[in-house]
Amino acid sequence: MIRESYRQKSENDLVKASLDGDKQAFGEIVTRYQNMVARTVKGMLGDSVYSEDIGQEVFIKLFHSLPDFRGEAKLSTYIQKIAVNLTLNEIKRRKRFFSTFSQKGNNEMHEFEIADHDTEGRKDASELVTKALGRMDPKFRIIVAMRMLQGYSTKETAEILDLPLGTVLSRLSRAQEQLKGILGKL
Amino acid sequence: MKVTDFKELLIRSLDLESDPEIMSGKIGEAGATFRFSDGFRDKVLEKLYASGSAVVREVEFVRNLNSVFYRIALSGAAAIVILLISIFMIQGSFSFDSFLGLGNGYDESIICLLTGN
Repeated sequence: MIRESYRQKSENDLVKASLDGDKQAFGEIVTRYQNMVARTVKGMLGDSVYSEDIGQEVFIKLFHSLPDFRGEAKLSTYIQKIAVNLTLNEIKRRKRFFSTFSQKGNNEMHEFEIADHDTEGRKDASELVTKALGRMDPKFRIIVAMRMLQGYSTKETAEILDLPLGTVLSRLSRAQEQLKGILGKL
Repeated sequence: MKVTDFKELLIRSLDLESDPEIMSGKIGEAGATFRFSDGFRDKVLEKLYASGSAVVREVEFVRNLNSVFYRIALSGAAAIVILLISIFMIQGSFSFDSFLGLGNGYDESIICLLTGN
């Protein structure tokens, strides 16, 4: 009943209520956007407990920065930017770690720990996507994830990643070429 | 969906002519869905709102600091405006001398003051 009333509230009302210490209001923000964050984080990092941690960190960081949120951009865009930044930081951290402690520093397949899904079919499809994305150059990977998993247009992707539109377009076409090669081997 | 078809769908989703929203929907329907585990929301809230949570305290501190800053900034701006108005009323202009309080002074009177004649 209480949750139902929060579901009808606008983004700005939820933000204001969260800032006033309303736990349920922030909970509603988490509920609304957790799948969006999961697509970015899990799509790029794979399905592991670390991805869950990064996902939680996204919302904790959002909570921290709510006083600075002016409502000029959509809340979803704001959250997506946080998710992208934290995910890219994690990729960099892993790359550093593996290049230090592993001889297979260039092969990123070992980054992923695929967990069990509810059905075999779902596991295969999600696993294929994460494997393919995991083998891509990170600068292409993020653009592909935004389009393929989130359904963002080129313009929206450019806005979220703070990149010029032309850069996104050229990376997208190069990413497609790279993806063809990767999927051919999988 | 066959694996080869799914791979083809992934590649086509990056076509500039394709509708990204429709394509990502199809990819999701084919089984590529990513979700956090059950209870994700509660875990986040627990981390944030656990009794005496440092995160909540920090956010409250930032909020209070912001509101104090705005109050100080507003009072400061009001004081500057009042000062400017009073300078203009007393000195009659906004010249550099007016700000130094020398706007109405005559050279002769300063010389008299300095020489004592």
